[in-house]
Amino acid sequence: MRSTSMLQVVSLTIAGLVAAAAVHADDGLVLPDGFTATVVQEGLGAGRHLAIAANGDIYLAGRDGLVAMRDKDHDGKVDETQKFGDVQGTEVRIYKNWLYVSDNVGVYRYPLKKGELAPKGARQTVVAGFPLERQHADKTFALDPKGTLYVNVGAPSNSCQEKDRQEGSMGQNPCPILEKYGGVWVFDGNKLDQTPANGRHFATGMRNAVAIEWNTAQKALFAVIHGRDSIDTLFPKLYNAEDNATRQGEEFHQIVDGGNYGWPYTFWDTKLGKRVVAPEYGGDASKEPEAGKYPTPLVAYPAHWAPNDLLFYSGKNFPEQYQGGAFIAFHGSWNRAPEPQAGYKVVFQPMKDGKPSGEYQVFADGFAGEMADNNPRNARYRPVGLALGPDGALYVADSQKGRVWRISYTRK
Amino acid sequence: MHRRVTLIACGAVLAAAGALRAEPPAAAPPASTSAAAPPASPTAAAPTEDPGKRLYARHCLSCHQADGGGVPNMQPAIAGGIWVKGDPGALASFVLTGGFDSAQRKDSAVDNVMPPFAQLSDEDLAAILTYIRQKFGGGASAVDVAQVAAARAKIPR
Repeated sequence: MRSTSMLQVVSLTIAGLVAAAAVHADDGLVLPDGFTATVVQEGLGAGRHLAIAANGDIYLAGRDGLVAMRDKDHDGKVDETQKFGDVQGTEVRIYKNWLYVSDNVGVYRYPLKKGELAPKGARQTVVAGFPLERQHADKTFALDPKGTLYVNVGAPSNSCQEKDRQEGSMGQNPCPILEKYGGVWVFDGNKLDQTPANGRHFATGMRNAVAIEWNTAQKALFAVIHGRDSIDTLFPKLYNAEDNATRQGEEFHQIVDGGNYGWPYTFWDTKLGKRVVAPEYGGDASKEPEAGKYPTPLVAYPAHWAPNDLLFYSGKNFPEQYQGGAFIAFHGSWNRAPEPQAGYKVVFQPMKDGKPSGEYQVFADGFAGEMADNNPRNARYRPVGLALGPDGALYVADSQKGRVWRISYTRK
Repeated sequence: MHRRVTLIACGAVLAAAGALRAEPPAAAPPASTSAAAPPASPTAAAPTEDPGKRLYARHCLSCHQADGGGVPNMQPAIAGGIWVKGDPGALASFVLTGGFDSAQRKDSAVDNVMPPFAQLSDEDLAAILTYIRQKFGGGASAVDVAQVAAARAKIPR
């Protein structure tokens, strides 16, 4: 454990709003009083999501492939690492005795067998054949206790303009992208060799719901959705750079069967505190869509923070106030430039009975560091994945170096 | 934020683009930003600023970033790359028509495609391209209005 360093003092000053910060946290991470962060794995490349087995084994997905990790001598550090499989992507989850993973075109699974760290069994295909896209292509997914598979199929577009990201180009109406993208499709996660055509269109109007999670206690699906970019450069007569940096909320919703969450026709304007018609669809920076057509988000987080993972806390380690609440890993912005980038942090959203019960709190901060030139490339770390350990600790994965931290409550 | 206070008349963009060739690159942007001194938004930028820098901020910066470094996996870096160091006409043609960043312009490791910027005037494009070549291309030659016009004339309609 490192003692208080100059770096931590600087981080504390920057964090400012975090009133009670931990003295002991690796990498100068800033946490609420009573919590400790330790580095479990220094980094093996670009990480994405992660999952922890009941025996504590850690599975990390990434653009460089899958990695299995074990802490054999229980000193809090990984001391056995095995790369395995041939899937490069974002999602990884454990369901029964299977490790479910995804890349940009499909969802697959590997058998988890006792004694094996990296699965030795053959990869099986659960669903494959999603069109290969560039934008918002990660097929993140959630699984409910029956094995129902909810796949996020992000829209390969910013706002469904006739010409993507081109100044002044108007929106296609109706947006044809929504036929195959921009929503959630449901499959039977216990069946093999399905195609996208086997999926049921569950919800729509979601630009990219990377952070998607089944809430077992509430028996409901939730997601935090990446909001749109570039209202200022695309519609400079309506919005300026400060508007673009601050107004398009990252929307947290309960995702219901048949739900429509408003993309690309609208977005939640956090300045006005209401849903507005997107400029591509005749919006004038305040015009509202038809009343009741789209739901109000449970919470709208600041623009461009990039919610990349969602986890409902159900462990035994954290204090009572965290039970049932949501942790959200925000990857941090790029489209806020030239304004200062923001959002490289893990947030806690207090919740009761599946509804927000208080203001969100910054839970873990200090990942990005100084970030020279205001460029995300220079962030020290970017939180991207969350997982719950069998002992109730919260694990956080980073996309810059593939670092993994374990955050636990250590006050006696 | 450093801001140049040289007076350049609003209407004289053409002349300014030419004049830039004789000038050193504009002062570097701040190495880092803090909440205490947020950079001004491009729409709020003074008209006296280097027009290439101002127009880069308005049209290009949010994707390619202030340092020209791009955003990993999203938009490519332009700083130090072939486009800002190479043939001015090829650069003008690329920015007018958009597309991906590889030399073949067929594929790219990044997610987002660059939209065409044909809606900008030859003068504005010349100012932007001159700015990025001087700032990110190791002082590569300026792009003049005639080169942009020639590139535009070659685009199939």
